[in-house]
Amino acid sequence: MNFGTTQQGDPLKLGMRNLYIVPTRFGLLWLAGIGLLQVVAIQLESNGPLLLSFLMLGLFLLTLHLTHFNLEGLEVRSGEPAAGFAGDTLAYPLRLRCRGRCEGLRLRLGPSEPDQARSLAPGEHLLTLPWIPPERGKVRPGTLRLLTTAPLGLFVCWSRWAPPVPQLVIPAPRRGPVGQAQSHAEPEEGARTSSRGESGGDLWQDLQPHRPEDGARRLAWRLLAQGRGAHAKRFVAPLAEAPLLTPAAGIPLERALEHLSAAILRLHGEGASYGLVLGPTTIPPGRGPGHRDRCLEALALAPRSL
Amino acid sequence: MIDRPPSAASRIRQRRPASAPESTSPEARLLQWLAEALLIVGLLGLQPTLMLSWVAIGLTLLAGLKLLEAKRLAERRLVGLLQLVCAGVLGALHADLGPSLLQGLAVFLALAGLLALEAGQGPDWRLLLRRSLQVLIGALPVALALFVLMPRLAPFAPLSDLGQGGARMGLSESLAPGSIASLAANEDPAARVSFEGDQPPEAADRYWRVLVHDRFDGESWQTSPTRPKTAPGTAPAPAGTGFSKAQQLWVAEASGLEAVPWDGSALPLGRELRINGRGELLHSGRASQRRLYGLRPRQGMDGSWRRIPPRPTDLIFPAGMNPQLEALGRSWQEAGPPAARLALAETWFRSRPFRYNRSPGTLPKLAPLDAFLFERQEGFCGHYASAFSALMRAAGVPARVVSGYQGGTWVQPLGGPGYLDLRQDNAHAWSEVWVEAEGWRRVDPTTWIAPGRGGGLSAAPGRGAAGWLERQWWALDLAWGRWWLGFDREGQEALLQRLLGERRNLVGVLVLAAVSGGLGISVSVLGWLRKRPEGDPPRRELERALAALARRGLVPEAGETLRGFSARLEQSEPELGALLRALAEPYQLWRYGAGGRSARQARLLNASLRSQRHGLERALRRQPRRRPTA
Repeated sequence: MNFGTTQQGDPLKLGMRNLYIVPTRFGLLWLAGIGLLQVVAIQLESNGPLLLSFLMLGLFLLTLHLTHFNLEGLEVRSGEPAAGFAGDTLAYPLRLRCRGRCEGLRLRLGPSEPDQARSLAPGEHLLTLPWIPPERGKVRPGTLRLLTTAPLGLFVCWSRWAPPVPQLVIPAPRRGPVGQAQSHAEPEEGARTSSRGESGGDLWQDLQPHRPEDGARRLAWRLLAQGRGAHAKRFVAPLAEAPLLTPAAGIPLERALEHLSAAILRLHGEGASYGLVLGPTTIPPGRGPGHRDRCLEALALAPRSL
Repeated sequence: MIDRPPSAASRIRQRRPASAPESTSPEARLLQWLAEALLIVGLLGLQPTLMLSWVAIGLTLLAGLKLLEAKRLAERRLVGLLQLVCAGVLGALHADLGPSLLQGLAVFLALAGLLALEAGQGPDWRLLLRRSLQVLIGALPVALALFVLMPRLAPFAPLSDLGQGGARMGLSESLAPGSIASLAANEDPAARVSFEGDQPPEAADRYWRVLVHDRFDGESWQTSPTRPKTAPGTAPAPAGTGFSKAQQLWVAEASGLEAVPWDGSALPLGRELRINGRGELLHSGRASQRRLYGLRPRQGMDGSWRRIPPRPTDLIFPAGMNPQLEALGRSWQEAGPPAARLALAETWFRSRPFRYNRSPGTLPKLAPLDAFLFERQEGFCGHYASAFSALMRAAGVPARVVSGYQGGTWVQPLGGPGYLDLRQDNAHAWSEVWVEAEGWRRVDPTTWIAPGRGGGLSAAPGRGAAGWLERQWWALDLAWGRWWLGFDREGQEALLQRLLGERRNLVGVLVLAAVSGGLGISVSVLGWLRKRPEGDPPRRELERALAALARRGLVPEAGETLRGFSARLEQSEPELGALLRALAEPYQLWRYGAGGRSARQARLLNASLRSQRHGLERALRRQPRRRPTA
């Protein structure tokens, strides 16, 4: 069943006002079975089928309430969703608080199939629901349908809720060309996007006396070996070479953002530093997970047209 | 809410093909197979001549095949419903105690299977079975209220016996002892009867008549095909008399005959019974099934079938077929009143060397009764009854042969009322002669020959422990029959009469009130059970204490430990916090500590936790009620 007002607000507390309940197709078939047994019982004046048909009718009336009980009093609130990539199956966290035992609960986010029925004991539960975001940005996962047919499948009781907490969805990484913005701090036109090599001797410009804080990586080993003292290699502008990534020209923006997403992940993986320019937004070069996440968030939230 | 572009939606659909949810619960599969197995066992005793039997067989097979191939939830649910309907149809075919228990168990398993289907993966067995019982018992009040109070409809069409072929009883409408070489020993059950106050008749009076053979063709005795009219004054008892008033309660096994055994003097209870003019008790229920009926005592002989004078056919004697017999009979014609001729016959039988023999061999086709009376002079009850009745007719006394049962074993079970057990071995034939002053008189010539046979010689049904168990079981079965099969339309009428008296128009209100009352009780009890804390007793005490705090809005934060919660509470509510800590610490020590967990320790802990909880609740009551601080 998929109709009814979609509830708003966080948390959602399920009760009479926001739960729907109707008989399932099986419930109607069940009634037909009761009718058949009644006919047999009346025609043959037999107590067995008569009692069974009344028992089935009793179960029908009882499960109307029991099915409703499963969801009544259930409190649902959004958790704190972690960022994910568009097109991937993301996990959306939900916190459920059950007042009583909640049987046969099926949850479904958006158009995905409902997951397997689960039974929850009274108390707090943290669940994660899979969903596939269709696009980047701060995306709300669509309508959550909570439904149950327990205990006998004769009635379906459900509610619809739009979880208000959005999940950050980053453009799906896709290999491809990316542009590089002209950095005002960069002395050369360098279109190089490759990272700086560990021992790229041709990249350093000068030497200066080595200080302890320069570390071993900048030590000019050859000079030291030649007995010419400890010198540190001096790079002209070490960060100036870090690329300032920007959407490649001539490619649709969304595709270009996906390329950028892949490039950021690659550069981060290589331990390189990089910056990002997205229209008015500029993130100066840097490195590390925090920097990566900032860049990816900027990609996710980039305006639709730059 | 974000509008989803159609392309994205279709992509998702491609990844996950749209299909109804599959059911993977192995518990449900096992339960449904168990229910199926029970139903198949229930099919074993069915009579293939009944159409309804084939309906039951078809439904069971259908459910089995569906269960084999069903993958989806909807199909598995259908299996459950088919099994329930099948159990109901079997209930109409077999209503005895054993099959009823089997059907009840099948219904329970089918319901548990449906419950397991819905509950999803991994509910443990104990929980599942407990829940099934809860739901089943929850539905019982409504079911019983409807069953007991809902006025019952009469059948839409007259009961038809779809095939009467299933005659199992030893009696038949034709009695031709000359054609029977040997009586086979047959210990099959024929009928059982219980008496009010456990007072069976004297052994000499235990004659249970079934068929009256009033047509004699010189060789065999037949029941006349035309149904004599109902004996005056033997109309069924008025509505409103249930089995509770029965003096005799009978359970007759399937016989294929409309006539059922009775003592010949009581009055029938229920519309399905009537007594015809020659003293047969006719039951309109299906003769191919076990029938249950009650009889009530009759005061005096007024209107009894015994007083219905003989018809000319009761004197018909085919002349010349048994010349010696005919001559003997005619010689008594001048002896005076019928009673005197009867006495002559008895003397004659007693003076001849007759012997009782269950295997006398067949009699010749020509003058068979002459051969029996004057040459062989050995035979069983059928021979004596038919020869004596023929002699009486030849002597001008209206006579006929009655077949039924005689004797029986009195069984006193461990509990409940005793009963008289009749087997096919108790089948017997005797005579009835018309004596002007008293009506139809029972005469059993076999007793003249073999006093033991006529004096209540009882077959010993089922010897040994198995026989004892069988008799106990049948006692239960009889009690079951009294309460279960006995509650029919008449029984219900009687109950409604008692409950409502003249205000019968209130029956609808009564049904509605009983159903809503039953439903209300079930729903409240199940609702309470649902919110009851789970776990072992100490855990429940802790949960109750936390619930009491939660009612005041004092709830642990997400991820907060019990220790953390009590510490936080101690800051804002020192008294409550301390009380909670006093409860939580021993609990945690018991739950997570290294010490042993004997049952005694658990009991002690439980008592202490309970008193702590009560202290906490008292403290909460003392506090002024405030707005919850979420």
